[in-house]
Amino acid sequence: MFDWLADAATEFISWFQRGAETFNGLVVGIVPLLIVLLTAVNALIALIGPERVNKFGEWAGREGFAYTPIRYLVWPVISVFVLTNPMAYTNGSFLPEIYKPGFYDSAVSFVHPPLGIFPHVNPGEFFVWGGILAGIVELGLNESELAVRYLITGFIVIYIRGLTTEWFTRRLWATQHDTEPAAA
Amino acid sequence: MNAFITRLGKAVGNVVGVLYQAGRDAIDMVLKNVLPFIAFIAFVIGLILETGVGEWLADGLSGLASSLPGLLLLAVIIGLPVLSPLLGPGAVIAQIIGVLLGTEIGAGDLDPALALPALWAINPQVGCDFIPVGLALGDAEPETVEVGVPAVLFSRMVTGPLAVVIGWLFSFGLYS
Repeated sequence: MFDWLADAATEFISWFQRGAETFNGLVVGIVPLLIVLLTAVNALIALIGPERVNKFGEWAGREGFAYTPIRYLVWPVISVFVLTNPMAYTNGSFLPEIYKPGFYDSAVSFVHPPLGIFPHVNPGEFFVWGGILAGIVELGLNESELAVRYLITGFIVIYIRGLTTEWFTRRLWATQHDTEPAAA
Repeated sequence: MNAFITRLGKAVGNVVGVLYQAGRDAIDMVLKNVLPFIAFIAFVIGLILETGVGEWLADGLSGLASSLPGLLLLAVIIGLPVLSPLLGPGAVIAQIIGVLLGTEIGAGDLDPALALPALWAINPQVGCDFIPVGLALGDAEPETVEVGVPAVLFSRMVTGPLAVVIGWLFSFGLYS
C-alpha cells in the first residue's frame, strides 16, 4: 500500500521536476543574454534618439508594396542572424504597430531554416532540423544540399508569411478597433 | 576649466543615466513578460515529456508523414489555430516528429527527397505559443497584441501548408 503511494508520489513529482529542469535551462541559457542584450538595445535606442530610430521604422514601414521585402525579409533575416532567437523579436519595436505581427511572424519563422548552416541562431531547438538531418546522414547523402534548400525556401516562406499576416492584421484591426492603427 | 569639468560630469552622468534606465527597462521586460512565460512553457514541456503525451502525439502524427499528401495533411492539422499554440512550446513537438521522420528516412521508409517538405510540415506552429511575448518584446501596444495573436494564427492556416508546397517545389532534383 505504502509502496504504491510512494510510487505515485514519485511519478507525480517527476512531472514537475522535468518542468523545473526545463525552467532552469531556459533561465540560465536565455535570460542572462537576453537581459544584457535588451539593455544594450535600449541604451542604443536612447542614445541614438528615438526620433532617428523611428525614421528607420518609418522607412521600413512605408505604405507601398516595394517596402514589404524590407520589413518582412531583410529586417527579420538580419534580426535573427545578429540577435538570434528570442532576442530578434525586439527589433519589431522599430516598426509601426500594424506591421509588428507580420514582422514577428517572419522573424519567428526564420529561427529554424538557417540551422543547417548557421546553428548559432537557435541551438536550443537544433533538432527541428537535426532530426530529419540524421536520416539523411544515415543514408550517406550530402547534407549541405538540404541545408541550402531549407535556407532558400526559408527566405520565400517568411516573406509570404509577413505579407499574409499583415493582411489578416488589417482585417482584424478594422473589425476589433474603431481607431485607425497609428502610422499605417 | 571649471566649466569644462562641469560639462564632462554632466555628459557622463547623462550616459550613465541612460544605461541605468536601459537596464531597468530590460529587467522590467524580463520580469513582466519573459519569466512568466518561461515558467508556463517549462511546466507544459515537463508535462508533455514526462507523461508520454509528446511521444503519443508524435507517433500519431508521424504515421501521416509518409507521402506528400500526408505531409500536407500534417501541416494542416498542426497549423490549426487551436492546436498550434499548444504544439509550439520549445519546439518540442517539431523536434520529436523531426527525429521520428529522420529515423524513417534513415530506415528507407520515407523518400529522402521528401526531407525538405517534411522540414516545413513539422513546423507550421513555429512561434505560435510565443506571439504575445514576441510582440511585447517588439514593444507592441495591447491593441496590437489583441489583433496580432489571431492574425498570426489564421495566417499560419494558409502559410503552413503553403510552405510544404514550396518545400516540395524546391525539392525537385534533391537526392535523385
